[in-house]
Amino acid sequence: MAATVDFSLDNTHEDPSRRADLVLGGMTYGDITDNVAEIWEAGRPPKIWYVVFGTAVVLLSILGVCLLHLFFMGVGVWGNNNPVYWGFPIVNFVFWVGIGHAGTLISAILFLFRQNWRTSINRAAEAMTIFAVVCAGLFPGVHIGRLWVFYWLFPVPTEHLAMWPNFRSPLLWDVFAVGTYATVSLLFWYMGMVPDIATFRDRSKTKIQKFIYGLLSLGWTGSARNWHRYEMAYTILAALATPLVLSVHTIVSFDFAVSQLPGWHTTIFPPYFVAGAIFSGFAMVVTLLVPCRSLFKLERLITIRHLENMNKIIMATGLMVGTAYGIEFFIAWYGGVEYEKFAFINRAFGNYGISYWIMVTCNVFIPQLFWIRWFRTNLLAMVVISIFVNIGMWFERFVILMSLTRDFLPSSWGNFYPSLVDILMLIGSFGLFFTLFCLFCRYLPIIAISEVKNVSPQTLHHHGHDEHEHHVEHGTAH
Amino acid sequence: MAHSHKHDTPVETGPSSKLISLVAQFDDPHSLVAACDRAREAGYKKMDAYSPFPVHGIDDAIGIRRTRLPFFVLAVGLGACAFALLLQYYVNATDESPIFPGYKFFISGKPLFSLPANIPVTFEIIVLSSAFATFFGMWYLNGLPRFANPLHRLPMFRRVTNDKFFLVLEAEDEKFSESRSRQQLEEWGAKAIEECHEDLTDQKIPNGFRLAGIVFLFALLLPPALIYRVSGMTYRQPRLHVVPDMDWQDRYNTQTRGPNIGTPESPRYLFADGRAMQRPVSGTIARGDLTESDEYFRGYKTGTLPVSEGAGPSAQDQDGQDQDGMATGTTPEPEWVDGFPEEVVVNTDFLKRGKQRFEIYCVACHGYDGNGEGLVNQRAVALAAAGEAAWTAAKSLHDPAVKAQPIGRIFDTISNGRATMGPYKDQIPVKDRWAITAYVRALQATGIRTPQELAEANSATPEAGQ
Repeated sequence: MAATVDFSLDNTHEDPSRRADLVLGGMTYGDITDNVAEIWEAGRPPKIWYVVFGTAVVLLSILGVCLLHLFFMGVGVWGNNNPVYWGFPIVNFVFWVGIGHAGTLISAILFLFRQNWRTSINRAAEAMTIFAVVCAGLFPGVHIGRLWVFYWLFPVPTEHLAMWPNFRSPLLWDVFAVGTYATVSLLFWYMGMVPDIATFRDRSKTKIQKFIYGLLSLGWTGSARNWHRYEMAYTILAALATPLVLSVHTIVSFDFAVSQLPGWHTTIFPPYFVAGAIFSGFAMVVTLLVPCRSLFKLERLITIRHLENMNKIIMATGLMVGTAYGIEFFIAWYGGVEYEKFAFINRAFGNYGISYWIMVTCNVFIPQLFWIRWFRTNLLAMVVISIFVNIGMWFERFVILMSLTRDFLPSSWGNFYPSLVDILMLIGSFGLFFTLFCLFCRYLPIIAISEVKNVSPQTLHHHGHDEHEHHVEHGTAH
Repeated sequence: MAHSHKHDTPVETGPSSKLISLVAQFDDPHSLVAACDRAREAGYKKMDAYSPFPVHGIDDAIGIRRTRLPFFVLAVGLGACAFALLLQYYVNATDESPIFPGYKFFISGKPLFSLPANIPVTFEIIVLSSAFATFFGMWYLNGLPRFANPLHRLPMFRRVTNDKFFLVLEAEDEKFSESRSRQQLEEWGAKAIEECHEDLTDQKIPNGFRLAGIVFLFALLLPPALIYRVSGMTYRQPRLHVVPDMDWQDRYNTQTRGPNIGTPESPRYLFADGRAMQRPVSGTIARGDLTESDEYFRGYKTGTLPVSEGAGPSAQDQDGQDQDGMATGTTPEPEWVDGFPEEVVVNTDFLKRGKQRFEIYCVACHGYDGNGEGLVNQRAVALAAAGEAAWTAAKSLHDPAVKAQPIGRIFDTISNGRATMGPYKDQIPVKDRWAITAYVRALQATGIRTPQELAEANSATPEAGQ
């Protein structure tokens, strides 16, 4: 078989004797730059871009109207009420924060593991992370009711009032965790982008472009001394972001796990949440990158192998999530606490049983299709599966939250009904997300040009012939 | 493509401007590293390589020492750890400071400061501070941002962010001589060489910017100047109220004058009587205020209310209590009902309800057994005995005179009060008043004796009292 495959065009082979190429079609450095910069240099983006962007802006306007309505009327416009005081806002928050995990995982953890295939996808994934965290931050941000005193979230000194947050509350930990994550992701993203913005600066044609990209590129020249400190800083940031990315969803899970409610008060929540976050994050990356890749003709940079690797991660984390679902039931039975038992039986067969089975189908059963190679390498199939995963992950958070409707006392049971504003805000948050992502695709380098060049066959080939012994061993392409 | 002018001459630099470096172009990272090695061997110290991506091996080739950035980040991270712990200790476990005081949070009897609960925030602050230190430290050590760099003037150099590699030998280097260095670069495989001249156009700031800068600097002085001016001042104006928070509402309080729709000089009020509050229109009744049945709501048989001016239950209904509160005994009374109205069903539950209400509203004076020995009464009697208060002792419900009263009369007493006892019809709903009445009747049926009767019985048979 290997004899019939042109390795420079197909990199999905599994040949241990040969490292798979990460850039196909024999692209030179200039080709890589041109390929990525074309998206931005083109006079007009593709028509589909206008369709997606227009739709996203409409949805964003709906979100804006909902927010204004909320600001003037108060949080009563949501369906939140006794006993479900956290309704859609926290479901959407956890959903979006979870999606926001893939970017930093790809740029930090895969960097530390020397997974070179990350280079083609990390920029877009990081951008997606930041936009998802923006969407996530929106919901608890507007849930505080009196928005004009939002700064009470932070330890701001007041002269005599002694108004301080409670540092032992998981909700405060959330403020710090999500705030830190958003900030560090932004720094990481921007720092990684500076050399590529410099590329845009050097290709700018109008004065406005020159000014904006010149300002953003900070005068980057690509000096070896600068690269040296830059790479060191990148490594340090990766090392800082690695525990951070694991901590964020851990702390988000504390919101639930620290409260003493059957179905929530479990130690499995942190790892289970983190696995779910990576699962949903990668699914969103696949959802976004497959169309981007076709639309902007990036097939030689974001290869089938890249997508296949992501699908494998989706399958692996899907299995972890499925195991966690199973363990929860086992512990509920094995622990012998009747409330816990009831909570789980109720999850599967109770008042919101249908959402439990949507969750299990989308998160556990459907990703199993990725065992079959055809599903891992077929574009349409992987997009469809990744969308199912995201639907499933939204329902996972919904299912967890609906434990509130059936707590210890039957007298305090109740049901949750989302209001129209709830549903419109969920849809509107997708508008916010896609608006930002469309603008990103159009105006910023969506592939880490300098990093891809560094792992392209052209560079690795030269290294192979290099006499210098101090060269760093490159990782494999897996 | 606009990038392929390898042989363009440098633009915008006059012959008089100083040569600062020679820029040599290479086509691939391998030849760049090789040229750097040769340059180092030739003794060049002040040189730098430029590339579209980090070229491995270049650090040793041009002698770059390892950066101190990690130590800087470590120091900041450790500092952040100490800061975060101190912050949480100060904020949640102390409150002594006179200004910006902390606040001791007592939560479920847990210790004020416990490390496990403080780890998440400490961790996040460490990561956040270290990330800032890494980001800003890296740019600082790199001497960036630097927006005016003569290298950017070279059209050839624009490809440094695309596909070309450059070695730059600086004129300040001891080994540098224009002709010999150029020759060496050619030997080392340079594909193109250009001179980089000092860029005098970068030296002066454009006029507009200078003016804008001066204006901006002066503008910066305004906030502190304003703050200084107003510090310690007394204001007669109310402070700026950014968010109204329903502090002012367009409504009129009870018992106040109504809105003036005329002028201040000749006021004309919305309502003829000038009040903000208005009675219901005559002939109407507020929802829930329909009290038609005299038996149920007032305790007397329908139509038996004597017609008299200014006294009796109906007068009390309107004006609360009689002026002196003592007149009721002498006024003509209606014919009280001597059974419970048909609206109430007296059963065990009803009596329990009555007992519970009685113990809330009545026992303070009348006592649990209804003998008038409640704690308030005891205290008031003691004070009255010492001449410190005027008090009419609460009546025993077992007094024969009270026992003889019809049920409707007892209900009326609870509703409208008698003598010093106040009316309870505003506190207790009508059904509950009937329940209390029923309970009073039940108490009276127990045969408890009044204190007087007890005293008389004791004096009649002194042995029994001993």
